[in-house]
Amino acid sequence: MSSTQMLKGIIDGCILAIIHNKEVYGYELAEKLEEYGFHSFSEGTIYPLLIRMQKEELVTSTLKKSTAGPRRKYYSLTPKGELELQKFMERWHQLESSVNRVLHHESDTGQ
Amino acid sequence: MLNNEFTLSKKSQNFLENLRVYLFSSGKNPKEIEEMIEELEVHLYEAEKKGKPIEKIVGKSPKEYMQMISNEMSIDMRTWFKYICLIVLGSFSFNIIPDLLKGTLSYSVLEIVGHIVIAVIFVAFVLIGFKAISTLERSPIKKGLIFMGISIVPIGLFLGLIFLNEAIATPVIDFGTLGSIITGTILLVFLIGTSLWAKTWVMVIVLALITLPDYLLEQTSLQDEARLITGTLITFGGIAIYLLISAKLEKNKEV
Repeated sequence: MSSTQMLKGIIDGCILAIIHNKEVYGYELAEKLEEYGFHSFSEGTIYPLLIRMQKEELVTSTLKKSTAGPRRKYYSLTPKGELELQKFMERWHQLESSVNRVLHHESDTGQ
Repeated sequence: MLNNEFTLSKKSQNFLENLRVYLFSSGKNPKEIEEMIEELEVHLYEAEKKGKPIEKIVGKSPKEYMQMISNEMSIDMRTWFKYICLIVLGSFSFNIIPDLLKGTLSYSVLEIVGHIVIAVIFVAFVLIGFKAISTLERSPIKKGLIFMGISIVPIGLFLGLIFLNEAIATPVIDFGTLGSIITGTILLVFLIGTSLWAKTWVMVIVLALITLPDYLLEQTSLQDEARLITGTLITFGGIAIYLLISAKLEKNKEV
């Protein structure tokens, strides 16, 4: 399984977490994800995700003028988005500990 | 438009242009399309400033990326409907106005239904064709062939309709004087309205150049052949002059 397939769904939660922390525009968001170590995906993939999150009312956007020229679209979380982020964190922690348990246990006995 | 000294690479500009055509022919909302393009323009602009290639943003296949975006955007039925109406009415006016100048209107049911059907088929072809063109990376021959297909199909269908109309008798609807005047007025209002809305008089001017020479020359004592030749010359010469002038005006605007 490629890491892009594993990323599906997880990246949504990470985007929510980044936006939760600070209002960001697309490029900033992509850079942040890269800084955190998500190198394998193409930066543009965030936009279809953002469109969907906006449709699901998890995020809202405002256009702001920038000193650099073109207008930037800044995203922020809605209350519904905050809730979704909470749910994602719970799900992630559960998944993480389950996967860790499996890997620890199975690799110990497998040897 | 970006007003900085740094401009987008040709490749990125092409990609954005193709994406616009692709989303438009997929029936998305024009305002949402522009927003999406603007957002990606900002992204590509900042990425290129840092020396990232476009592949880092849109991935290996621009086509797949365009599809990904398109899948998330909802279809805007109102815009589709608006364009179909515009094209149906527009093509109607090119038939009806010359007929009006000759006298009252009367059309067979087959003609009326056929026109609408052809216009809808034409719109579908344009949408499918443009979508195909926007995903073809570099192939002028294929693009040319698609354009040719788009323009030949309606001509063929119209020819077919003319023959069919002669072969099959369907009830003829006579509009009468009052009906013709009302239809003519509605069409004029529509033409002026859409021209104001689209901020271009191209439809009215081309329509006038196609219909008026014939009509005016009929009032003269010129012979049939001379009339036909002068009429054609005025029509095509006029359209050529109009296109030249508007191209010049457009160029001046850009500078």
